[in-house]
Amino acid sequence: MKTTSFWKEFTKGIVISNPLFVLVLGLCPALAVSTSVDNALGMSIGVTFVLLGSNIIISAIRKIIPNMVRIPIFIVIIATFVTIVNLVFHAYVPSLYESLGIYLPLIVVNCIILGRAEAFASKNPLLHSIADALGISIGFMLALLIISFLRETLGTGSLSIFGARLFTLPILGEHPMAIFVLPPGAFLLMGLLLALLRRLGVIKSE
Amino acid sequence: MKTTLKKIFPVIFVTVVVFMAVALLSWTNSITRDKIEFQEEQQIQSMLGEMFPDMSRYAFEDDIYTIYSDEAQLGYAFLALGKGYGGSINILVGLENETTIKGISIISQTETPGLGARISASSFVGEFAGLSISDVALRQDGGQIDAITGATISSGAVVDAVKATAVERVKSLQEKE
Repeated sequence: MKTTSFWKEFTKGIVISNPLFVLVLGLCPALAVSTSVDNALGMSIGVTFVLLGSNIIISAIRKIIPNMVRIPIFIVIIATFVTIVNLVFHAYVPSLYESLGIYLPLIVVNCIILGRAEAFASKNPLLHSIADALGISIGFMLALLIISFLRETLGTGSLSIFGARLFTLPILGEHPMAIFVLPPGAFLLMGLLLALLRRLGVIKSE
Repeated sequence: MKTTLKKIFPVIFVTVVVFMAVALLSWTNSITRDKIEFQEEQQIQSMLGEMFPDMSRYAFEDDIYTIYSDEAQLGYAFLALGKGYGGSINILVGLENETTIKGISIISQTETPGLGARISASSFVGEFAGLSISDVALRQDGGQIDAITGATISSGAVVDAVKATAVERVKSLQEKE
């Protein structure tokens, strides 16, 4: 019984309630950093760490948090983890820190994280909250990887991961569709992806 | 008694949580600080190298980097801190001599993406190269620098910081001679 519900909480975040494609939360940081696969990976790692940390702490103290101050408490906990991510990225992966720029500290206001704290971790036991955090993070990472893969290949005509060039497309390599790395391209692509995923029945409207 | 405790419990709770957060953060900071300083120094070193391609070494004294090639002194550089729209802007300013700017680079900034953040673009920082310090001002104030459209505050912050710090550093250079 317990393992099945752990599994259920874990898998639901990946497809059924994928944070980007189904809940459509956290669009601002997602669209802003999905210009390259590297950035998307970095952002996903940051979000995973923060979400896991905040879900664990909040779930562990959920019974003693006074209801009237719960949102400030959540924010303090989330901000602490975000600052840790910020310092660690700055110290150990400076190039990623540079390219994520302002969006790294802005994980604080990413509504996926506060949303999971309020809607899940503050009401559910520790193990389930961990499963929820992992599932949602993987869903976020998958969605972000799909978007950033398309944006990078269409927008620059090539794909590189960790600075190593993987491939360059024949025609697009010389004439990339630069709109896809720009903000309008992000919105276009996001809309098209949502429409496609719905048409295919991968995600269902409520 | 019990009701007062109930009333102040949220206050105590928030205080305890904040204290724990502060403790955790200062611990993280103590671990990462040296590494971050090292990274920043590396960054400054590579920026100096770009600004002065012939640089072979530099010396740092009294907030001024003196840049040398193998045989000659190439110029000076120093850090300037601007107050931007979204926080502080760290700028590296290179001087060719005591009156002329060699170039500037933005080390870090937290301006609005798409607007103020364009102060890092080469079209903006490039405007400073070769200017005399007295010409460093926005065009609307009688200078030679075009402000970025929609980001006058960020542009002005860079200009003000570069000019004010340059004047100060040149003064201290001249006093030394």
